[in-house]
Amino acid sequence: MPQVTYIQFDGSKQTVDVPVGENVMRGALYNGIDGIAGECGGAPSCATCHCYVDDAWTAKVGGPDGDVEAELLEAAAAEIKATSRLSCQIVMSEALDGLVVHLPETQY
Amino acid sequence: MTAMTFPDLDNYVQDPLHPVKPNVPTFAGPDEIPSHVPPELVKSCGLMFSPEFLAAPHEYMAAMQHNFPPIFYDVTPYRNAWHLTKHEDCLFVLRHADIFRNLEASPFPRDPDDYFFFIPQEVDPPQHRKYRNIVDPLFCPAGIKTLEGLIRQRAIDIIDGFVGDGECNFNTAFGRPLPVSVFLDIMGLPQDMRDTFVGWADIMIHSSDQAEIADAFGKAIVYLRGAIAEKKANPDGGVVSLIANAEIEGRKLSDKEVFGFVCFLWIGGLDTVYATLNNIWLWLAQNPDRVQEIIDRPDDIDKIVEELLRRYSVTFSTRVVMKDIEMRGVQIKKGDRVMTVLPSANFDPEVFPNPLEVDFDRPRKTILAFTVGVHSCMGGHLARMELKIALQEWLKRIPKFSVKPGAQIAFKPGGVVGPAAVPLVW
Repeated sequence: MPQVTYIQFDGSKQTVDVPVGENVMRGALYNGIDGIAGECGGAPSCATCHCYVDDAWTAKVGGPDGDVEAELLEAAAAEIKATSRLSCQIVMSEALDGLVVHLPETQY
Repeated sequence: MTAMTFPDLDNYVQDPLHPVKPNVPTFAGPDEIPSHVPPELVKSCGLMFSPEFLAAPHEYMAAMQHNFPPIFYDVTPYRNAWHLTKHEDCLFVLRHADIFRNLEASPFPRDPDDYFFFIPQEVDPPQHRKYRNIVDPLFCPAGIKTLEGLIRQRAIDIIDGFVGDGECNFNTAFGRPLPVSVFLDIMGLPQDMRDTFVGWADIMIHSSDQAEIADAFGKAIVYLRGAIAEKKANPDGGVVSLIANAEIEGRKLSDKEVFGFVCFLWIGGLDTVYATLNNIWLWLAQNPDRVQEIIDRPDDIDKIVEELLRRYSVTFSTRVVMKDIEMRGVQIKKGDRVMTVLPSANFDPEVFPNPLEVDFDRPRKTILAFTVGVHSCMGGHLARMELKIALQEWLKRIPKFSVKPGAQIAFKPGGVVGPAAVPLVW
């Protein structure tokens, strides 16, 4: 099963299995990883699963998936960077095995 | 009145295995206004019940943005509470579950000596997420997507039952049967219970006779307990079975947890989608040009659904304040209740300019139809799917319709906002 490493704002890391077809936000929630709220559940209608895709992965993961994600990201609580994504919109595949995402200081 | 103290809340332990009624004191009426509330912030805004509200509820709630202070203390014979109408303030309250807790969130009558929590609504973090994880795989967007074909068939079957009549009362013909039959499917309960469930729900939600409400709720409790026992003995793919046989941290859920969870889903799913559909179909019937716009933009159905949910949010969310806090210079004290006026916050012009206009091309912002924070509605994706399918299948079959000539539209008083009947002709 592909793995995702979540790096907290304080630098601590957790690596967990996230099944193919599941999204990176759910991977955090199901594994009790703090730092991702995911409060709307992936509608998407909020920006509380904001993450920064690690530089090594940005080419594979790509940028925001359309206008809706980009508009929602504008309202994210933490700084928006070129690597910002809503993690609910990143769906796991074998190609993303080993993905590394960095979590922002806050989701609110 | 002197400031009230809160001996119970400081020591209140929320243990879902041993549920105890939290005993949050309720203050009601003009004689029970805490001394920290400034007189100029005391209002009786008439939300939910006044003739001014019922004449046009959503327009009324939009006007609250300038007719009342952004935070005021509402006084009613039923319950006094701070009312918040700014989008930003509602987000703050709903996103700080440690300060604003969801205690005694459901109004339905429970025996204090055999108390149970409505789960997960009345359970706060950190336990809350453990319950959500049981059902989220089904209620998340990907899970709901697997139900799309089934929901669509239910919608088609219901519409086919009356499309030849040329008229219907939308509420009873479609608004009620669709969510109830979908609920029965999801829960794994038999469809022949549909009319019985509708009957219980109607009484519980619309009756003002407390004995009648208790009787209907009692019957529902007996039925649900029987269904849970049956699913424990014979597990299947439905949600009652899923919950009845679920484990948290290596232990099975207790009988009270299972019952509170199933009961909450039953109550949560029935009236809100119903009222939402009724409000939206009234608007559609009065706006044939906008109906055509929806028909002409099939690829934009998701943003159409989101905007209609913003414009026609139907309910409210109340929290109990756990520590003194200042918001916009207003002192809010431990033990106060705050109600986020969600439909009004969806009309906050700072977030949604020209808020009453239905504009499918608004930039996506967080709407409050399903609240936000840890207690965000777990049925939100199901509701979106039901509304989407309802629009698609109805407009395919009945693209031109209007309110029956001479019909008087009356809105129901209470905590779920919608018209009592929407008579349609086509």
